[in-house]
Amino acid sequence: MADALVPRSWVMRALYLVLCITLLFLHLLPLEHMPPKWAGPDFVMALTFAWAVRRPDYVPVLLVAVVTLGLDLMLQRPPGLWAALMVIGTQTLRNRAPSLRDLTFAAEWASVASTMVLITVANRVILALLMVDQAPLGLSLMQLLSTLVAYPAMAILSHVLLGVRKRAPGDLDTAGPRL
Amino acid sequence: MARDRGQGEDYSGPLKRLLLGVLLLCLLGIFLIWRIDSPRVERFRAQVVDRVVPSFDWAMAPVTGAVNILRDFQSYQRMYQQNQDLRRELQQMKAWKEAALQLEQENARLLDLNNVQLDPRLTYVTGVVMADSGSPFRQSVLINVGARDGIMDGWASMDGLGLVGRISGVGRNTARVILLTDTSSRIPVTIQPSGQRALIIGDNSIAPVVDFVEAPDQVRPGDRVLTSGDGGVFPAGLLVGQLAEDPGGRMRVRISADYERLEFLRVLRSYEKERLTDPGQVIAPLILPGTEGPNIPTDPAEAAEAGNG
Repeated sequence: MADALVPRSWVMRALYLVLCITLLFLHLLPLEHMPPKWAGPDFVMALTFAWAVRRPDYVPVLLVAVVTLGLDLMLQRPPGLWAALMVIGTQTLRNRAPSLRDLTFAAEWASVASTMVLITVANRVILALLMVDQAPLGLSLMQLLSTLVAYPAMAILSHVLLGVRKRAPGDLDTAGPRL
Repeated sequence: MARDRGQGEDYSGPLKRLLLGVLLLCLLGIFLIWRIDSPRVERFRAQVVDRVVPSFDWAMAPVTGAVNILRDFQSYQRMYQQNQDLRRELQQMKAWKEAALQLEQENARLLDLNNVQLDPRLTYVTGVVMADSGSPFRQSVLINVGARDGIMDGWASMDGLGLVGRISGVGRNTARVILLTDTSSRIPVTIQPSGQRALIIGDNSIAPVVDFVEAPDQVRPGDRVLTSGDGGVFPAGLLVGQLAEDPGGRMRVRISADYERLEFLRVLRSYEKERLTDPGQVIAPLILPGTEGPNIPTDPAEAAEAGNG
């Protein structure tokens, strides 16, 4: 793997972009026009955080910013705010990643959960302060909860199918720390 | 080596921190600009959507089609029951059809008597639904007609039967229809037969709330709700739905348009009405076609006489 033509981290970054575009595509399918009674998980958030905790070099901050800003524009959210919060969240998890590496999955989950809750609350508070029309509170809470529930599934999928695993000591499959 | 990485590879170096700061400032700046000058950013958003969504179209249509076929297949299992329901409905519809025919004839007679001119410019463009809003918090759809087809912001869009929403955000090839159920939707309506004016307000439920009714005791569930044309937003008289009362006692509209299947939407061309600024001038054109001069009753008494005669 080390002498592949393209470094693995770049392949995984491209894969992240493709996954996010696929998720956007699935969101945009005109299947249901009735107002929903429940809100599904925000898979992009779960995916980003799962990768940020495992392999921060696969989700560079610029890529996260561009992807989430694009999603903001496409999904009729206030542009920029959610993207900024996602960048902050990703950076926080990225900083915690080294200490989380040796802990159990439960600790990682708790850490991700706290980040998700914080940025969701921050989003609502900022929107409320600037008097922007908001989604119903119940729906956002439901989305938050379902994202929290979906996170382990996302983490397992990334781990098993996509090979996004935490670095183990003596792991030499990347070009190095500086990327 | 592991410890080197452990010291936070992406916070290492002031340059990266600076970059992060600049990035965050940019994003928050975009948000603030949106908050301050929303129309411009929304126009930009419409252009982005206009670029991106049509490029998904080749894949979107088959996937949507396949899912719909699967759903239809599921509904075959309930075919017998559906058949019974349809028969019963058909019976009711026959009675209604009879009534409608009679009313149509009567209406035609009355229109003829009054010599009413219906607005000839109320034509429509039909578009296909390409995508929905993609988020559970927003109720809107994207249709495949846009500025190229002369669509303008604020026009009404209907399915075959009733009002679906209004255009908000027009790109070159696409336009966004904000559905009546969206939380930002406010439509002025009249409730018939009492003629009360009200506003229907979307609240992310299938039945929008009716609010600001002038005399709430004069309306009752089952009344018809039509657009009123107040504020020049919509043409008047488009069917919205029927009034219903929810368990909490609030008035809501049961929307006539079939939100389960929004496939084709017609967008009504409604050009801005002429403003009446000078009341004397608008009674008739100065020179009527086929006559040599203006034929305007100038004296109020004469006008009244003409009206009575």
